[in-house]
Order: sequence, then structure tokens, then C-alpha cells
Amino acid sequence: MVALLSEDDKSKEVEPEVVASLAVPPNKVKDGKRDNTKDQLSPFASVKLSVFLMCLMALTILIGAGVPQESQGGQEKVFEVFGNQVAEWLVRLGISDIYHSPWFLALTATLTLNMIVVSFQRVFPKLKLLKNSLPFFRGQDILKLPVHYCLNLAKAEEQTALIADLSVRLTKMGYKVKAEGSKLKGEYGLVGRLAPSVTHVGLLTLLLGITITSWTGFTGFQPVLLDEKLNFSDSQHSKLWIGSLPKWQVRVDGTRRENYPGGQAKQWFSNLSVVDDKGKVLHQGEISVNNPLTYENVDIYQSSWGLAKVAVSFNGHQRQLDLRPMGEKYACFLPLDQDTVLIMSLASEGKSLRVFAKRREWQAPKLISEIQSGKSIKLGDVDVVFEKAIPVTGLQYKRDPGLPITYLAFGIIMIGVLLAAVPHRHVWVAVEDNRLYMGGTSRKAKVGFERSMDNLVEKLKASFTLQEQAQLDQGEQAHV
Amino acid sequence: MSDFQLYLTNTAGLSSVASFWVFVASNGTKRFNSIALKVANGVMLVGFIALTVAIVTRGIEAQRFPLANLYESLLWFAWATMGGFLYLCRSYGIQQLGWLASLLAATMFLYGSWLPSSQHDISPLVPALVSYWRQIHVPPLIVSYAMFFLAGLSGLLNLWQSGRLRSLAFCVGTIIAASSAIGLGTFSKVDTQWLQILFVASSVIGPFLAFRSLPVKDAAIEQSKASSKAAEMYDDVGYRCVAIGFPLLTIGIITGGLWANHAWGSYWSWDPKESMALVTWLSYAAYIHLRIQRDLSAEKLSIVSVIGLLLTLLTYLGFNSLGFGGLHSYGKFK
Ligand code: HEM
Repeated sequence: MVALLSEDDKSKEVEPEVVASLAVPPNKVKDGKRDNTKDQLSPFASVKLSVFLMCLMALTILIGAGVPQESQGGQEKVFEVFGNQVAEWLVRLGISDIYHSPWFLALTATLTLNMIVVSFQRVFPKLKLLKNSLPFFRGQDILKLPVHYCLNLAKAEEQTALIADLSVRLTKMGYKVKAEGSKLKGEYGLVGRLAPSVTHVGLLTLLLGITITSWTGFTGFQPVLLDEKLNFSDSQHSKLWIGSLPKWQVRVDGTRRENYPGGQAKQWFSNLSVVDDKGKVLHQGEISVNNPLTYENVDIYQSSWGLAKVAVSFNGHQRQLDLRPMGEKYACFLPLDQDTVLIMSLASEGKSLRVFAKRREWQAPKLISEIQSGKSIKLGDVDVVFEKAIPVTGLQYKRDPGLPITYLAFGIIMIGVLLAAVPHRHVWVAVEDNRLYMGGTSRKAKVGFERSMDNLVEKLKASFTLQEQAQLDQGEQAHV
Repeated sequence: MSDFQLYLTNTAGLSSVASFWVFVASNGTKRFNSIALKVANGVMLVGFIALTVAIVTRGIEAQRFPLANLYESLLWFAWATMGGFLYLCRSYGIQQLGWLASLLAATMFLYGSWLPSSQHDISPLVPALVSYWRQIHVPPLIVSYAMFFLAGLSGLLNLWQSGRLRSLAFCVGTIIAASSAIGLGTFSKVDTQWLQILFVASSVIGPFLAFRSLPVKDAAIEQSKASSKAAEMYDDVGYRCVAIGFPLLTIGIITGGLWANHAWGSYWSWDPKESMALVTWLSYAAYIHLRIQRDLSAEKLSIVSVIGLLLTLLTYLGFNSLGFGGLHSYGKFK
């Protein structure tokens, strides 16, 4: 531990605890209590291992981000992007569904184990150190600190005023100061020391929340036509599952799209009724993107919207034709004979239906007619009525019982990482034989700390009869 | 875009270019060095203020929070780079970071102004983006990206001041290659597959060679006391940037999750952009743990911070411009 301060070990940061142990007679340090505890750590408590695992995890997710995933675009997308041969390998190796692959699950499990072990064996025990307040230092000890100053005080009678002045200045800089005779110590940013524990508590809480959700929650997506019902038959949940699905269903009573003046979609709305198996309405509400409906802890979201079908009747025979999205519009194709296709296109609900014909020898389809909603036209001897467009609303649903815990975890993690930005600093001062010894440590933002100390010394020099004396350079990182 | 706002944005862009040259010039003169640095800082400050006003007026004009397309996000990025540098400058006497930060801001302005006009215009939002969550989610992310860039640039300066010139050359070469891939992906018709290869290959090979070259040192620089002092400072500055960027990235990712959950009912869906943010987050978590344990020397950590910069670049601009795609693609070009 003493070696931490030696010259060849420039890169090591000096912890106040280490400095404190320097202030204790050497035979006590040799007790080696620290080393004993190190032996008791399990092999999973290695931070090197966790850094390695984090990098592996990052790499895995990087691959997952680069290769289209089956869970998002379906397997076809993988084949489309990579061609048959490569895609087959990707599927076989689980790369195209990497977040469900055994590799990913094993990695997550190891990382979790690692985090739990390290948290309990290395991170949380450090909280005990918070209570240990460090002793006052003598001048000799102060000179061992990474940042230190030694100045001559020409007028001995200034000593008391100097300590009092320093005490005020350090307090102003945010230090908690304690003075005792000609000695003074100050501590800054103790909350920063809480950062690792708070963050890791947050991470463990997050794991708990995710686990609860995965064991009891479900999610799903179902496109639902107007007047039809959302049931939960397509829902997805993990293999280890002890939850249950709702007995009720959700009926779509209405759904519409609101546009910007330019025609782009601004918002989608759906009116929903929660109905039980006898058809009794239990709850009603309107949803839109960003505004879900919640019933018995199941949230139902507006996640997409489109026109699914167009109801058209030909000489009184009604038919529902499937629409396909074509850019901003929707269209359906109705082959009339070998060479001719009737194309109907619809820009959006409430707009007129445009009817085109396309023959093989024509370059582009020709517009034949336009039908207002509810109106009819004659095409040859056929009476065509545009009855209505049937919209489909894409409903995403989920029950997430672990959510409150997950949200709590998010909060804790955010606080934890913010605390980590607070540098923890110590300052010691001693006046001995008309010399002012001042020094300190800062585990983070060291240079900023040095500059603040330099500033402080300059200010002291202005008010007191302090003179620089040759630095008692001990060979460590001397402060120039 | 109103003339006033265009004028302000141009002022900011020009001032970043101007401060770049003044910062560079300050190296040429010993006598006027400190004055030149003050001037450069002043010019940067003017640009920062102009940009702040430009962004605010843009928001007023559009009657929405001014962060909805790639162009606006680049303005924010430049704003955060300039602001971040000015903030760091207050507590550190960082000089050489100045021209790198100006260069970075100027590059972002240039990149933004070359974007097709569909990316510039104040256009209406698609339903998914109409939410107050947008202004909570995106700004911390952009600012964190800017801080990570500054950390990577500090890493370069650390390599320089510690005399690791060969490693530095590899790192700079990698950053240039990766940025070129992104530039070509945005503005040219080159097949994105080649650009993906260029980006990935250079990001893997460059840092690897940089690590391998660490033993090669320039003795004169290494033994100079001023240089080693400066090296230590850039190391510290880099860490400070990460220490600020990491909480912001965390907040950005989490608020993104809250928004997604609010809007779509799932806080995480493994969307590529989302996953990339997680990759970046994990990498910086790894960096922080390496840092606390002090397992790596400052020079190695500098290379790690350059790798972080490349990942940030990939997350921020690479995924859209190199054609990886995703739900967050407000920056689809082709
Ligand atoms: C997966 C296994 C992980 C292990 C084994 C681990 C281990 C550790 C250890 C040993 C410390 C140092 C504690 C101290 O010096 O007092 C620490 C600090 C910390 N860890 Fe982790 N950690 C893990 C994951 C994470 C992750 C995923 C994050 C992401 C936020 C994280 C965030 C932090 C933070 C913010 C600190 C405090 C850093 C500081 O004080 O500047 N850890 N961790």
C-alpha cells in the first residue's frame, strides 16, 4: 500500500484511507487486514472480469444493432439483406435473434452474478469507511500528499488568524472544516463517495424489476379492424412464466387519423371499449399515440394506423378488398382479365376513391374515375359504389408488474451516476515551527483540485506574511 | 428559416472557424500567446451566445422545441461542444483543446449546412415525436455525445504530450477514416456496404495499432516536465468530460425508455439506435471502472477514450448515414 506513493507508480490515485494509514505507525499497516479480505473475495468479485464482460456485452449488442433482428423485421428481412447462404448461417448461429440466444442469456447471467458479488463484497462494504473520519495530519504527513505546500510564516503571531481565515475560505469553497489548535482538516463532496453504492443498488433494483416483469408480465401487438375485438391470444411472455391473461376483450368502436394541413399524419385516435365475455362494457376511453388506456394494469397503446380494406359494391354485390400501403397512399388491385388490372387508390379516410385501369401494353395506369365516399359511378354496365374505407388500428398492449420497481431503479441509477460526478476531496493544514503545511487529495478532477489549491495559496499570500520556501521534495509528485 | 436566425447561425459557424485559427495561431507566438488565447476564447464565446439565441429563436419560430431533425441536433451538438469547452476552460487552462473543439464545432456546422434541405426545414412532426418527452430525452444525449467527443480529443492531446506520436497518428488516422465514411455515406452515392467496412475496419485496426505502438515514445517530449504536466492535465480533462457525459447519457437513455414506455408500452425494444446507445453506455461504464481501479495507464485510457469517440460517432451519425437504419431514423437520407 505504501508503494502507492512511490514515484514509478505515478498513475495510481491516492485514496485518503491510504494516506491515513501512512499516518499510522508502520507496524500497524503490516497487519495487512486489507490483504486478508482480498483473499476472501470470490473469483466473481473481479472488476477486471466485469470490465471484460461489459466489453463482450457491448460487442454482442453492437452486432445485434448491425444485423437486422428477427424480432423486429422478421426472418424475411434477414434473408433480404444478406442473401440465402449468409442468412441461413446467421439464423443458425442465433445472430439474427441475438437477444434471445443462449450466448446472450449466459452473458447476462454472468454479468448479473458478477455485479451482485462485487456489489456486496467490494462496493457496499466501502460505505463503512464513510463513518471513519480521518485524523488530523502532522506537517510531515501532509508532505506525503499528492498535492502539498510548505510556506514560511514570517510573523508567528498570525498563526491563529491564518487557521481561522483558511477555515472560512475552505468552508466557502464547500469544504466541511474542522480545526483543532494549529491543525485543520476539510472534506468536500462526501456524497460523491456514495455514488458506487447508490448506482449499484439501482442496477440490482433494475434487475429485480425486469425479473418480476419477465416472470409475470406479457406484451403483444394486434392489428384490429373497426368494430372488431382485441383478445390477448397473440401475447408473448417468457418461458418461465407464472402470470395470467385477462378474461376481458377490447372492442374498437372508432378509429381515425388527424392530418397536418399538408396531409402528413399528425395523430391517430381509437375509441375503445373494454367488454367482458357477455359483451357488457366495463370501461371506455379514447387513445392516441402517447396516450394509452389502462384497465386492470393492462396498458393499451396506439402504435400504428392504416386503412385495411375498402368496401365496394359491384351491381349490388358487396366486396371488401384488401388495401396495401403504397407510400403515403393505399391501393388495391383487382385483376379483370389476363391483361387488365383495376387499381383503386385511396389517400386517406374521407377522401375519394380513385379508380385506375392498367393494361399490359400501357406504360402507366390511367385514371378512369373518382368516387366520393358513399357515391356511385358507372363503369361500362357495372354500377360501382364506394361504400367506405375500413381502417385498422395497431394496438400494442402490455402488463408490466415490475414497472414501479424498474422506475424506482431508473431514479436510483440516475442519482447514482450524478453523484459519481462529484469529486471527493480532503484538505489538511498544520502550522508547525512557523511553517504552514497544506495539502490534500482528490480522487477525481485532480487538476481542478490543484488549481483551486494554487488559487487558495495565492490568496493567503496576499493577506499574510507567507513566503515560498524551497519545496521539501520527497521525490513523489512534487507540486511545482 | 428567418434571416435573423440564419444570420445568428452563420455567426456561430464563422466564429467557430475563426476561433479555430486564432487557437492555432496562438501556438505560433510565445509573446502574444496568452492574449491570442483570450481572443480565441472570446470569439468562441460570441459564437456560443449567437448559437444559443439562434436555437431559441428557431424554437419560437417553429413553435416547438427546436430539436426535431438532424440539422437541429447538429446545432445542439455544436452548442454543447462550444459550451462544454468554455466550461472546462474555466477550471483548467486547456489551450490545445481549443482548436480541436473549434474544429469539431465547425465540422458539425458544415455537415449540417450541407444536408439536403428537407433536413433543414422546420417541418411538422410525425405522431411519435409529438410529446413533451422529446425535450427531456434528446438534449442530455446530444450534450453527452459532445462531452464524449471532447474526452476523445483530450485523449489525443494526452498521447501527444506524453510523446506517443505514433499511437497518436493511428488514432487521428482512424478518426479521419471513420468520419470520411460518414461524410461519404451522407453526401455521396458510394455503396454503404463499403463505407460500413471502412468504418468498422478502421475502428478496429486503428486503435489496435495505436495500442501496439505505445512503447514507441518521443524521448524529448516525454522527458519535458511541461509536457508531462500537460499530459496529466489532458488525462484529467478527459475523465472530467466522461464524468459529465456519462450521467447525461444515462439520463438520456432512461428518459428515452420512459418515453417509449409511455408512448408504445415498452421501454426497451432493441431498436438499433437504442442498442447503440447502450453499447456506448456499457463502454463508458467499462472505461469508468478501468479508471477507478487504475488498471490501465493514462495513455491506454486515452486510446480507450478514442474508441469511445468512435462508438459515439457511430451511435450519433453512423447508424443513419451508413445505412444501418432503425426506428429513430430522423436522419434517413436516401
Ligand atoms: C457488471 C458488473 C459490475 C461490477 C463488477 C462493478 C464493480 C464496481 C466497482 C468495484 C466499483 C468501485 C467501487 C468503489 O471504488 O468504491 C464500481 C463503481 C461504479 N460502478 Fe460499477 N460495476 C459493475 C457494473 C456497473 C454498471 C453496468 C454501471 C453503469 C452505470 C456501473 C456504474 C458504476 C459507477 C457509476 C460507479 C462509481 C464510479 C465513481 O465513483 O466514479 N457499474 N463498480
